[in-house]
Amino acid sequence: MKIMHCPLNGPRNISEFTYGGQVHTMPDPKTCDDPSWARYVFYEDNDIGIVREWWQHTPSSYWFIAERHNGSDDILRTYDPGELFTDRVDFQTPGGES
Amino acid sequence: MASPLQSLAFEGGGNEALVLRDFRLARRAGVRGPGASDLLTSHGLPADIAPNRISDQSDRGLVMALSQREFWLLHPDAAASSQQPDSAALAAGAWPLYCQHSHAWLMLSGEPKAAMMAKLCGVDLGDGAFPLGQVAQTQMAHVSVVIAHHDYQNEAVFSLFVDQSLAEYAAGALIDAMSEFNQSGI
Repeated sequence: MKIMHCPLNGPRNISEFTYGGQVHTMPDPKTCDDPSWARYVFYEDNDIGIVREWWQHTPSSYWFIAERHNGSDDILRTYDPGELFTDRVDFQTPGGES
Repeated sequence: MASPLQSLAFEGGGNEALVLRDFRLARRAGVRGPGASDLLTSHGLPADIAPNRISDQSDRGLVMALSQREFWLLHPDAAASSQQPDSAALAAGAWPLYCQHSHAWLMLSGEPKAAMMAKLCGVDLGDGAFPLGQVAQTQMAHVSVVIAHHDYQNEAVFSLFVDQSLAEYAAGALIDAMSEFNQSGI
């Protein structure tokens, strides 16, 4: 059984987790063009090495960040996203509510 | 209290080693957000409960912390609230969680409960690793569950919270696992 360490819940079976994609810097949604936004949402770097990824512990709906070597699949570190993201981001749609 | 899961019930002999009870009709409510702990404090409830811990407030019920910003208030002896769900904030940065609508509440008691749960759940729920007051958010029989270890009527019990739509499946899996211990009931 592969074990992942959830920052909130401790070590758990990997089947309790859901992958959420690579951590990228978000372009400004108000000013970026569609290809840039699509690249941010859908594309991932395809390098081999240590990658920073979003993971969710499904039973607690808790999102966190993991640093994983995508060659060996070793999970090196997991931590709360509050370490990287300190500000709330509100999205505005044209003429709509946030 | 009538159980909506009566169809799964079967006769116990009165000396069950394990008993599963249905608390779906008992009161529970939650609060979530950066202001959740302040709201608890303003109601005279403790807000310094660490995540994944449950605190017995005697006649005020149980306070269960699922994270630093999410708390559930459990009242096993009170009838479920019939209030219409409302999404408005309860206070600055604190929103209601309708866990009464989202999660079924089952309660498991009996000495071999941790040994029985080992058949369904990968987390060690033995007293050494999972003492009274501890909460585990994990999976049981492949579905998400919140397990809380607390006292009820002077007995250590596990409260199990599963998605309402999975209640019948979860109760069936539990009763099936309990049958090895030759005792059951709901």
